[in-house]
Amino acid sequence: MLEPITARQWDWTAAAHLLNRAGFGEPPAEIDRLVELGPDKAVSTLVDFEKIPDDTKDPDWAKPDPERFEKQRAARQAGEEERRRFQREQQQLQRQQITELRGWWLRRMAQGPRPLQEKLVLFWHGHFATSMEKVRDAYLMWRQNELFRRLAAGNWLQLLVEAGKDPAMLIWLDQAQSRRQKPNENFAREVMELFALGEGHYTERDITEAARAFTGWTLDPTRQRFVFRANLHDAGSKTIFGQTGNFNGEDVLRIIVAQPQAARFITARLWHYFAGEMPSPELNQALATVFRQGGNQFKPVLRAMFRSEEFYAPSLIRNQVKSPVQWLVGTVRMLESELPPPLACWALTRNLGQDLFAPPNVKGWDGGLSWITTNNLLSRYNQAATLVQGDLSMVAGAVRGNNPNMARRAANRLQDNPRSRVDVERILTVEQRTDKAALIAALEKRLLQSALKPRQAQALRDYLDDRGELDESDILGAIRLVMSTPEYQLT
Amino acid sequence: MNTLPTLRTRRDFLRSTILGGALSWTVPTFLANTFSSLQAAAANSATQIATGRDSTILVVLQMAGGNDGLNTVVPYANDHYHQARPRLALAEKDILRINDGLGLHKALSGLKEIYDAGQLAIVQGVGYPNPNRSHFRSTEIWQTASDAERFEKYGWLGRFFDNTCNGCDPTVAVTLGRQMPQALAAKKPTGICFDNPANYRFMQSGRADRSEMAATEESFRKLNEPDESFMENSGGSIGAIAGGAMRGDSPLDFIERTALDAQVSSDQIRAMASRVQNQASYPSSQLANSLKLVAKLIGGGLPTRVFYVSQGGYDTHTNQPGAHERLLTDLGGAVKAFVDDLKAQGNLQRVMVMTFSEFGRRVAENASQGTDHGAAAPMFIISHKVKAGLLGKYPSLAPSDLSRGDLQFTVDFRNVYAGVLEHWLKTRSETVLGRKCEPLALI
Repeated sequence: MLEPITARQWDWTAAAHLLNRAGFGEPPAEIDRLVELGPDKAVSTLVDFEKIPDDTKDPDWAKPDPERFEKQRAARQAGEEERRRFQREQQQLQRQQITELRGWWLRRMAQGPRPLQEKLVLFWHGHFATSMEKVRDAYLMWRQNELFRRLAAGNWLQLLVEAGKDPAMLIWLDQAQSRRQKPNENFAREVMELFALGEGHYTERDITEAARAFTGWTLDPTRQRFVFRANLHDAGSKTIFGQTGNFNGEDVLRIIVAQPQAARFITARLWHYFAGEMPSPELNQALATVFRQGGNQFKPVLRAMFRSEEFYAPSLIRNQVKSPVQWLVGTVRMLESELPPPLACWALTRNLGQDLFAPPNVKGWDGGLSWITTNNLLSRYNQAATLVQGDLSMVAGAVRGNNPNMARRAANRLQDNPRSRVDVERILTVEQRTDKAALIAALEKRLLQSALKPRQAQALRDYLDDRGELDESDILGAIRLVMSTPEYQLT
Repeated sequence: MNTLPTLRTRRDFLRSTILGGALSWTVPTFLANTFSSLQAAAANSATQIATGRDSTILVVLQMAGGNDGLNTVVPYANDHYHQARPRLALAEKDILRINDGLGLHKALSGLKEIYDAGQLAIVQGVGYPNPNRSHFRSTEIWQTASDAERFEKYGWLGRFFDNTCNGCDPTVAVTLGRQMPQALAAKKPTGICFDNPANYRFMQSGRADRSEMAATEESFRKLNEPDESFMENSGGSIGAIAGGAMRGDSPLDFIERTALDAQVSSDQIRAMASRVQNQASYPSSQLANSLKLVAKLIGGGLPTRVFYVSQGGYDTHTNQPGAHERLLTDLGGAVKAFVDDLKAQGNLQRVMVMTFSEFGRRVAENASQGTDHGAAAPMFIISHKVKAGLLGKYPSLAPSDLSRGDLQFTVDFRNVYAGVLEHWLKTRSETVLGRKCEPLALI
């Protein structure tokens, strides 16, 4: 188990697979570079991401607003009309900021120098699945996103503790409202069920006891910072997983992480995310062992994973359904193009079933085949036109929400802000832009890293033959068609 | 089976395209070849048990988040209720009276009208043994009809289609929303899902001219043809085209199949959404929009047996009163309009609406003017033929009768499913539910 892949097994397909899974996909030149590096160095360039400088600036609004809660309170007391006005203003501001935040993060994924770090942030976002719908504060969502970035490949206990005290989480799972007299069980339950152990590995009693231990974890009066309040905390004796003591929240998380199941649970989740299927019990035990030996750190387990023979099994390669974010970001990276404006990005991903900062529920996105419905598949095919041909009218429909005015404004803003198309001269040689066979081969290599079925290649060839001498729009049309295949939905 | 103007199956779709070009699709050559070698009689004899324009229709309405059953069907005269909920309990003035002990939340005037018209059954105290208080697990239990301790992969509606329909039209099951619910997960998944009919199609770039559009569209179809290997494997039988052999398990097989389903259903849905008019006035909400579209698709004659719609927001841990009232107002108003619409169409007798929520909420209120996850809760069943009124028994609220603060169920939800399957969908519930469940006498 977890034998490292040898230099002899390391080839173009393997390097492309690593970049697709540990990142979002890369253009052929980057795949070539990793082939040259050999497996160990190739994995290191991704896993040791902290060595790569990243000078991304924070959004300019991403700082605490200590008066916000006070202003809200004042507005509430100033009468119905004032309260409504304030609420409207806030809603609009938050909507604008969360749209910017989505664009900011997608830009880090699509253009940033540390793809694995961002891919892990996406994993943790899906894992802790906190939604703006309830938190209603873009600054807090940004803070949580930064927490996931800072501890992306770090220590599990530290991540759990910090995530538990994270203001967005305190709101999301109602911990901020829990008190000694009436403990709220929401956070305690989800920590065990969804975050750390899984269904069937705890009792209802463990939950009620843990909920008592978490009391006192709450927000300060600005509602933007964690604070521990001893007067809300139940300092009495609790029994959790057979251990008894006057436990607090940190104690509970320490006890949970020490459960043998805790290592197996999180390594299986990681393997599933990166490999695309559940690990066998033997493989997962090997991963859990690496995780424990590395002091519950994620980096050693990620390195072992990406170097393992198992990770490069032919059955795994190009057999994972792309998430909408992977689809969007990967397209931009592979085509060396630019992300559409934030509002269009939001519409695109939302329309495909993955609204960042608004997962459907505390379990996050189901992923896998559930990304593909008749609806979502057609949307992928149609929105390929947005990314390739720069046609923003294709996403305007997605902005149409329950509010027609907002939709109209959004569509107008999109119209005012057209982005350029894919730069075919940048990504294709003169020969590839004129010779049809060479073009098809270049697109297969760049977009699929494998060949189309002969029948499909023929269909593409027929399309190009009908166009006569190729111009830019024919080539863009061909790119869009390759993206409008079942094969392109896999990575 | 009578001759129908709509296309009911992939087979119908392909056949009519070959014979008369009923739709403007390019038929993949290999399929055309296969069909020309088959006799028309063989094509006609295939069974289509689960489809049909005159069959009964089930509309499942999920109230996601865990609806507070106690403040929906309210035991307003019960002392235990008022003691457990000093701030949230509803008094007689807040309810629409059903009898001396029970009333509907006053926001449900729409449902009350249906109730008074004798078309609403309220199944009381529905739940299951060892209730799970996790949204996801409990939703999963409801969706798969499994025991609390067992994990089922497939949904109860998915198993219904697995058992009754071989190679059905993908529109036998229609979900209004972006994602397919687990209730429809199946060995042979069927059904489509979408949230906006206008975007439910392969669209051309606005910059393309006419001939370019046609060329792109044709190439698109060729690129999305299912692989020929499935024809070879199946020996080219009719069942293969009807779906039998397009059942590979790989993600690629699944996406190819979905691509074909999308093409088949896209034209029909869009045509009906623009042609059929609603004949009732609906409130403005996502649920109402979903039901409006369902009414159009029923009116248009889509061969759908199960529609799935949902309304979210019931997870009222904090500040419940206002939020719950808004949700119920929306529910009652949307369902009432839907019923009126179907009645005006003349289709009401074919349709049953069934609501469910993953659990009810705890009897005692919490400290945040809300309620935490609980257990048993009522279900609403609407049909012109339903045994109207209160079914089952309201669970006792006496503290000694509660289980860890929650109501104990009096009706197992699988008995309700069995009733719907046997009496409404006319199928053997034992095959679908994998066990004998006494069907609730709801008709």
